[in-house]
Amino acid sequence: MGFQSKGCTLRGTGDKMTEIAVLVKRVPDTNAQILVSGDRVDLSAVKWVMSPYDEFALEAAMLHKEAKGGNVTAITLGNADCDKVLKDAKAVGVDRIIRVWDDSWSELDSNQAQSALANVIRDLGINIVYCGKSAADTGAGSTGPGVAERLGWASASNIIGLEFEDTGVEAMVPAATGNARTGVSLPAVISCDKGFCKPRKPNVKGIMMAKRAQVEVMSSDIPSSSVNIISHSPPPKKAPGQTFEGASEVPRVVAALRNDANVI
Amino acid sequence: MAYEGLDFYDIESQLSEEEVMVRDMVRDWVDEEVIPNIEEACRDGRFPEEWGKALGEMGVLGMTIDEKYGCAGMSYVAYGLVCQELERGDSGLRSFASVQGSLAMFPISAFGSEEQKMHYLPQMASGEWIGCFGLTEPDYGSNPGDMITRAVEDGDEYVLNGAKMWITNGTVADVAIVWAKLDGVIRGFIVEKDDVGFSAPEMTGKHSLKASVTSELVFQDCRIPKDRILPNVKGLKGPFSCLNNARYGISWGAIGSAQACFHSAKEYALSRIQFEHPIASYQLVQNKLAWMLREITKGQLLALHLGRKKDDGSWFPEQISLAKMNNVDMALEIARMARDIHGANGILDEYPIMRHMANLESVKTYEGTHDIHNLIIGRWITGIQAFTRTV
Ligand SMILES: Cc1cc2nc3c(=O)[nH]c(=O)nc-3n(C[C@H](O)[C@H](O)[C@H](O)COP(=O)(O)OP(=O)(O)OC[C@H]3O[C@@H](n4cnc5c(N)ncnc54)[C@H](O)[C@@H]3O)c2cc1C
Repeated sequence: MGFQSKGCTLRGTGDKMTEIAVLVKRVPDTNAQILVSGDRVDLSAVKWVMSPYDEFALEAAMLHKEAKGGNVTAITLGNADCDKVLKDAKAVGVDRIIRVWDDSWSELDSNQAQSALANVIRDLGINIVYCGKSAADTGAGSTGPGVAERLGWASASNIIGLEFEDTGVEAMVPAATGNARTGVSLPAVISCDKGFCKPRKPNVKGIMMAKRAQVEVMSSDIPSSSVNIISHSPPPKKAPGQTFEGASEVPRVVAALRNDANVI
Repeated sequence: MAYEGLDFYDIESQLSEEEVMVRDMVRDWVDEEVIPNIEEACRDGRFPEEWGKALGEMGVLGMTIDEKYGCAGMSYVAYGLVCQELERGDSGLRSFASVQGSLAMFPISAFGSEEQKMHYLPQMASGEWIGCFGLTEPDYGSNPGDMITRAVEDGDEYVLNGAKMWITNGTVADVAIVWAKLDGVIRGFIVEKDDVGFSAPEMTGKHSLKASVTSELVFQDCRIPKDRILPNVKGLKGPFSCLNNARYGISWGAIGSAQACFHSAKEYALSRIQFEHPIASYQLVQNKLAWMLREITKGQLLALHLGRKKDDGSWFPEQISLAKMNNVDMALEIARMARDIHGANGILDEYPIMRHMANLESVKTYEGTHDIHNLIIGRWITGIQAFTRTV
């Protein structure tokens, strides 16, 4: 299945509009209890949400558009169950929502996912991509840099501050001795940490827009898979807490905090 | 941990995607902005102005009205879910939204002229202008048909005289929908806050709905231009159609209060140890929790089914009376039972229980008292009205 690029829209002046993309991923609610049954995670009963860092990426993309003009396209990768995160993005005002998928695909590994996303991003004529620094499910953090690598674009990761310039962005990134203000020229992929902006909330009108919006489905060539998951297992159980009662226990508590927990 | 509503019968599976999105939007806002601040608002006896603005920004004011007038044109089920989440925060907050949407914006949209709709509705949808609804009078509560407030024609104007009482949002309102008799027939009038001869002093000393403004409306030769009459309705049908919408919203709102009380009672019962075990482990307490869950679940199904009927137009008013009466009644009982489960702690403002209980006493009375709804249903069953002795 191929797909057609729509290219960039042109403004009356003939200036190319900045094409901004934001990558959003559907993940289990971070409050959800994760069960492993057999040797696979059982997600049948969990509530799904947009990965929290992606909410900051979405806000950054919207702020970019507000500061410099352009179009924002929200892109997710997954089957039709993932449409909801795109609708959530539409409800806060993105212009276009695209789901990257092919019915012949099942679970993609990181290499395949990044290739698929990079191909679509290239074909859409995107100039800048925002994404979360990592997804709340796998926590791998490889998508942003991986997509940039495949596109041969600049990449800034884990950003904690952002300013918009005409030809790029100025991103604050954590550095060995503090934070580094980094100029990044377009095209670029920016992966966002939390906290530097407040993700906007939808309103009823946005939700109605989202209801009417069509999710565009696009496919792409992907490399064959080179890794496979052998089994899932839950993290080891936490040791039970200890209870202390009465003033006579104070020295034991202090000793435990000092020697075992190393907090005082 | 984020609030998860009790949904024993998986009502959520019956909701559309956008209904869930609207509910979650309001749910998050209530958790973030309302619940942390509501006790202070109650203590100060004020409705935080910024909440009205936020409701406007979210777009939930008059949200069932046509998009042409700056509203959202959403379903009545979505409106119900919004009421539920708002009232989980506080009945005063839901009252604000009910009055604005169902009692002030709705009559303009249903009975107003095109000019009135274009002039008032967008400003009210955004929360820029606040509305109120003046029907009740000091001497006429359950029987508004005998109201005293009068309007007379005088050249290009109507002149209003009389007084309304117990009017939610009255003092803070920019626009009042006032029901008054013109030549003996009840008509709706739009009175603006600066109109000569109009004042709206606040009523104080409430032990219920403390975070909601309640006022008198006083008309002393209050003059308004002729184009402020609602042209398209005469008689009690006008105010009663508004009340139908607001009562419908209350039937959902009460579920929100009940959920808040249930949630608190469940958490408390699981953590409170007496006689060496959590009180939740005792059969008497479980019986109370099971009863709460049962009543909330029935109330949810009732409200949802009624909502779908509102949306397809197949409802009749007695069905709304039943839902309002039943759901407020169960919520009040649940609040009392939750107070009991919390023991002495139940009277503290650290828990939402006592506030919901006190609020629900008003909710039981306004928009048609519990008794009046029984009489409405009694009339439907028997064909005999029992409101007065002259049958
Ligand atoms: C906080 C608050 C906000 C309000 N906001 C508004 C508002 O915004 N706009 C507005 O117009 N009104 C408002 N009201 C007024 C409310 O609608 C009235 O209080 C309600 O209609 C009842 O009227 P009443 O208080 O005069 O009680 P009454 O009608 O005097 O009733 C007293 C008691 O007698 C019972 N009773 C009355 N008639 C009968 C009968 N025929 N048979 C058997 N029992 C009967 C009632 O059920 C009740 O138990 C508000 C009230 C409150 C408390």
